Amino acid sequence: MPLVVSAIAAAAIITPVLVVIWRSFTTGRLGFNVGLHLTNYLRVFGDKDIMAMLGNSVVYAGGSALLGTGVGALLAWIVARTNTPGKTLVELLPLYPILMPPIMKNIAWILLLAPRSGILNGMMQQFFGIETPIFNAFSMSGMIWVFGLACVPLGYLFLLPVFLSFDPSLEESAYIAGSKPVHTMLKITFPLAVPAFLSAFVLNFLRGLRSFETPVLQGTPGNIKVFVSRVYDSMALEFNTGLATAYSVVLVALSVITLYFYVRSTRFSERYATITGKGYRVKVIDIGPWKYLTFFLVFIYFLVGIAIPFIVLIVVSMIPYFDYDTFMKFPTNAVLTNYYTVMRHPSFVTGFYNSLVLSVTIALVTVMAGIVMAFTIYRTRASGTKIFEFIGTLPLAFPPLVLSVGLVIIFLGTPLYNSLWALGIGLFVAYFPYAFRNASGSIVNIHKELDEAAWVHGARWRHVFFKITLPILKPSVGGALFYIFIEAIRNVDVAVLLTSPGKEYGPVTLFEYFRVGQWAEAAAGGVIYLVVLIAAVSVAKFAFKMKFSL
Amino acid sequence: MSILNVAGVSKFYKDVKALDDVTFEFEKGIISFLGPSGCGKTTLLRSIAGLEVPDSGSIAIAGKVQTSISGGILVPPYAREIGFVFQNYALWPHMTVFNNVAFGLKLRKKSADEVKRKVLSALELVGLQGREQRFPSQLSGGQQQRVALARSLALEPRLILLDEPLSNLDAKLREEMRVELKKLIKQVGISALYVTHDQEEAFTISDAVVVMDAGRILQYGAPDEIYNRPAHPFVASFVGHSALVDGRVVRIEGESCLVNIPEFNGANLVSPAPRSAAAGDICKVVIRTTEVKLSPDGFPESADNVLEGMMMSREYRGGLTDHRIQIGSKELVVTSHKFCPMIRVNGDGGKTFVSIDRSAISVILAQ
Repeated sequence: MPLVVSAIAAAAIITPVLVVIWRSFTTGRLGFNVGLHLTNYLRVFGDKDIMAMLGNSVVYAGGSALLGTGVGALLAWIVARTNTPGKTLVELLPLYPILMPPIMKNIAWILLLAPRSGILNGMMQQFFGIETPIFNAFSMSGMIWVFGLACVPLGYLFLLPVFLSFDPSLEESAYIAGSKPVHTMLKITFPLAVPAFLSAFVLNFLRGLRSFETPVLQGTPGNIKVFVSRVYDSMALEFNTGLATAYSVVLVALSVITLYFYVRSTRFSERYATITGKGYRVKVIDIGPWKYLTFFLVFIYFLVGIAIPFIVLIVVSMIPYFDYDTFMKFPTNAVLTNYYTVMRHPSFVTGFYNSLVLSVTIALVTVMAGIVMAFTIYRTRASGTKIFEFIGTLPLAFPPLVLSVGLVIIFLGTPLYNSLWALGIGLFVAYFPYAFRNASGSIVNIHKELDEAAWVHGARWRHVFFKITLPILKPSVGGALFYIFIEAIRNVDVAVLLTSPGKEYGPVTLFEYFRVGQWAEAAAGGVIYLVVLIAAVSVAKFAFKMKFSL
Repeated sequence: MSILNVAGVSKFYKDVKALDDVTFEFEKGIISFLGPSGCGKTTLLRSIAGLEVPDSGSIAIAGKVQTSISGGILVPPYAREIGFVFQNYALWPHMTVFNNVAFGLKLRKKSADEVKRKVLSALELVGLQGREQRFPSQLSGGQQQRVALARSLALEPRLILLDEPLSNLDAKLREEMRVELKKLIKQVGISALYVTHDQEEAFTISDAVVVMDAGRILQYGAPDEIYNRPAHPFVASFVGHSALVDGRVVRIEGESCLVNIPEFNGANLVSPAPRSAAAGDICKVVIRTTEVKLSPDGFPESADNVLEGMMMSREYRGGLTDHRIQIGSKELVVTSHKFCPMIRVNGDGGKTFVSIDRSAISVILAQ
């Protein structure tokens, strides 16, 4: 029985993956294939923009990862090691990515940085008389800025434990050798944080390669093409599945190379391992008057990274329509019409309902399937189960958009096309690795003797699974359910190709609003999601005592 | 001039007194700080290094004041010119062995040639030549220990502080290393301050031992003095295998005195007389149980302090055997060599004679 469940899950995952690869070697449209050849790849590599696109992808992902990981590392150091006042502003940081869906960050920053109508450019003109727009959301630096800020929490969460659990005797022995505090920091403390920094950097780089909202909402209008937006255009505009899959395969190859470096970076950090495991009392350093500078940095980050995007979204959702002058008249012109419009709009209402129902269902199904598969691999004697481990982790190398390209190709011409089932399966495939890896990590840590004791006392697999494994896994199950729910309810990149009239998905609806210029409505819809997410986090935090970290 | 002067150093952690008015002077050689964990010995060592700031008192190294709370002097650790070997070695994992040892030398603006020469000679001293390009994680525990030592010695400090440096090694290696460590420190000719909770380590390695408990110095003396004439009941119970009973001085007879022990059915023991003892004084009596003789049949008239007890049980430990003997209301655990006549007596619960040589007894007067 566990074997059957695992096999079904594995089939659901491997099919779109194989379809993408197979389809990239065929031509023809809408499911008719005309033999195997390399036409698509010839077109991909014959594209004169291919080198520019490769460059853009690397610069965008690398720039964002560098900005985000760097700022995150700096904040982690300030929080862990200095006596900066107001550090608590930063300690909220892990909560921020949960509350702010990626698409809302893009919306908020486009409202601020758009070249003609953007709020900041408007202010420059009004207060300083600068006519030519300074800021441009639709530029490479605009993209790096927005996605880089989104990379900060991960950098912070990776570096904070390093600075907190730092063995103080490593610094003390440098002092005794005659090294002054600043020299010690540069020669000992920071170099020791390098492996964690590299891990966070590579992971953020991978997120940049996979990211959908920033390239499509900011890159495409500015004519800055990366692989994700090219895949999307091939599907959404040209509907050329062969071309889309060929671009996808190139993108997957890039992701796999990045993942390889991620594995390398974790190996590298093993060399840095020393005798540890003690609870150290890390010393907070009195940095004297420099603490005002670090406080200033923390405050600026809090404003720019967290407060301003929130405020802009809320204000824009409450003005009649978005332009600079209307924005500046707030709050005298505050209205709730955007909320009425959005809530009467069938595409938002159905989309909102679908996203709520689907993300709850998908969280439950994915987490259960993940546990069953991990149970099959580590706790049953079925042979050949190692293949599940590979398949269960495989989607990590596939950007979500690529998976949904595969699913579109499979569902074309079947009753599943344009159904909620298609959406559900897409989300399942995209989030399965997180559920699976979480479950295997926990199951491996449960002593096998607990199972064996049940076996020898006459239990069958279902008794072991429901009476032993599941109850012990309860705490980590809660975390995984919450994580997948939060990720699924704001998903754009899986759902965007799988929605259809009547079968909308809330975040995709906001994405469409924004693309057709209904910015104030998009902001209102976004604020509604914000309220749902805050409610979910509060329930998790206070009712289930969940702690928020990575 | 003494290498180290510590005067009136106290340190509180919230309500816990980690150091309580510690005062001592140490001329040169190797001195050990011995005590149970939490007795304040590591805090004292870290205060000397400047890694902790005491709440009061002063510390001078080679006549130069390094810490003086009342004088407002606090030399930072990087300017004290000492060596420090940490319990976990604290080797920098991102640097090679060579760079670990060279770190302090480079800071002192030595020429590249001189740095290289000093690093190599320090590594040769500890027997690690040829491993300069390894990383710490590629070395065994014993080798890491040697690197930590070389790193301190390369700077040629006047004083080296060692914080339980051998406690992370396995038992056999620990015994080898402590002999080697002593040889090395003597060879280099610097003074060393050695913190340990292992009395055997303290006795083998050092010229003088300081026994500490609850933040206070209880006794400061040569190893044999600490062992044979413990000045405090705690020192007696911490050092060696001994039994502690309450007593009262009955009378003084020249160098010896007679002490009444209520727990031994009121028997009187002949013991060495402590200085300034007088009849009627309340005291603690320390009996080193490894030096007690046992016999199933009794002892000749000339034997000191013959008591009669009952054998309760015996624990065979290989070369040694523990005998549990009830004397009056006190159970005495006597550890004896395998040639002890009691081992051949079958069955427990038999009558047993005990002879306690007066040299195995110390009398500590109540303060």
